Amino acid sequence: MFSNFRNLTILTILTTNFLFAQSDQFFESKSSFSGYGELHYNQNQKEKESASKTLDFHRFVMFFGYSWTEKWSFKSEIELEHNFVQKGEGELELEQAYVNYHHADWFGFQVGVVLPSVGLINEYHEPPLFFGVERPDYHNKIIPTTWFGNGMAFYGTYNFFDYKLTIMEGLNSDKFSESSGIRNGRLKGFKANAKNLLYNLRIDYLGVAGLKIGGSYTFNKATGETSTNKISLLEFHSAYHQRNFYSVFEIGNISYEKGNLESSFGYYFDIGYNISDAFNCDTKIIPFFRYSDYNTAAKTKTGGDSEKKNHFTYWMIGLSVKPIPQIVFKLDYGTSTKELGNEKTKLFNLGIGYMF
Amino acid sequence: MLKLIFLLFFVFSTFILTSNDIKIESERIIRINLGDYINLQFEIVGITPELKNEIEKKTNQRFFKDFVYKWNIIKHSKQIATAYVDNVYGKTQPITFLVIINNEGEIVTTEILKYREQYGGQVKNKNWLDQFNGKDLNSEIEVGKNIHSISGATISVNSVTTGVKKILFLHAELIKVE
Repeated sequence: MFSNFRNLTILTILTTNFLFAQSDQFFESKSSFSGYGELHYNQNQKEKESASKTLDFHRFVMFFGYSWTEKWSFKSEIELEHNFVQKGEGELELEQAYVNYHHADWFGFQVGVVLPSVGLINEYHEPPLFFGVERPDYHNKIIPTTWFGNGMAFYGTYNFFDYKLTIMEGLNSDKFSESSGIRNGRLKGFKANAKNLLYNLRIDYLGVAGLKIGGSYTFNKATGETSTNKISLLEFHSAYHQRNFYSVFEIGNISYEKGNLESSFGYYFDIGYNISDAFNCDTKIIPFFRYSDYNTAAKTKTGGDSEKKNHFTYWMIGLSVKPIPQIVFKLDYGTSTKELGNEKTKLFNLGIGYMF
Repeated sequence: MLKLIFLLFFVFSTFILTSNDIKIESERIIRINLGDYINLQFEIVGITPELKNEIEKKTNQRFFKDFVYKWNIIKHSKQIATAYVDNVYGKTQPITFLVIINNEGEIVTTEILKYREQYGGQVKNKNWLDQFNGKDLNSEIEVGKNIHSISGATISVNSVTTGVKKILFLHAELIKVE
């Protein structure tokens, strides 16, 4: 009996010691709250038509989190789109909600509602972090940002390499279309079919100060009620920031195994320059130029008009003004051209965004 | 009995090995940068509320605690540099960092000792941290001007940069007092 008691004491000491050893002087168990949002004014005008004008609080997002220990934490993101939800209008989404185990810099994992790491914006979509009032069209048409789902992710940094491997719910192949690629196939965690999981691996190289360059590969045997379709998405991305100069480049391709649609393809680049030095002020004033080209039906079996109907080129000039890094005022102006009929639409947007 | 001794030894050794890892890691980095033939005098330096307030106003960032870790680095009985360990908040968790400053008040090296989140860990990147080398209190240290931002690590980049600035202000004040 005594011996048992002694062993128990030792075990208790061991476990408490283990717990102590895991924490350190600076960590405090605590909850966190942060968020971001953006209000937009959008004006679109097709040739020989009157302009549509809208004022939209596009996104209101809240992050809640709690850290139990240095290694175990919980994080979540709840998003309300377009002010309210009613009769299929607006969206209320649980975009992230996961338990995070951060073992060390080289390894950690997340289980819950996670974000696959595809392109520069899917995981980092706060408005002060990208140019243009709306997210680049590439991040709607080719990469279905914000793409989230139920599953798990492993991540880490080793030397100058950063990786993330996500395994999560797949896509619904019934909903793939020539006009929006895989976008409508996202299940968004809603009683998601777990029969065929999606695999996504991203690797970035960070060895040059100010540069992030990398790529990702995503694979899924998408399954619907009436179809299956293997898809793979390969994309490369880079972002470079040196002194006042900014540049972004992303390119991606989706291949489909079956159906008339064979591939979706697109790219865009941004070049920006902070001119605040010229005015000798702390507010960052960054004019930028963007060119993008995307086609959700880049290659089809039948060819012809459907390839031209979904092919757009879009040039844009704009301005980001940041009085502090967390607040941005934006404006942009440009022309989007549909290949079929050379149909042009002029777009003018204003926006304000914040993050904390 | 042997088992007990073994267990006790294990308990003791884990305690020794892990309880002060931030201090041990700091001293290891100081020695890598300034050589083995140095003496390190460690102290925990309290920051007075007035000083705290003044520096927080100048930098628009709060101190993590009302103290920092400090080492006087002595070589041949002369002080050659000073090192500090402090924390800033990343998105939700503290980032623990070390700054070594020479007698001219210039930064010799900056290192992230502990990063506790998935996002923003790129600030650990040595090439990024080396941008602070040679900077002093009179240097312009501003993200987007002479400090590169890192895509995907904006919050950490801004917090660490301001955190380093805070240490330069603090160091200048502490020297005055001495």
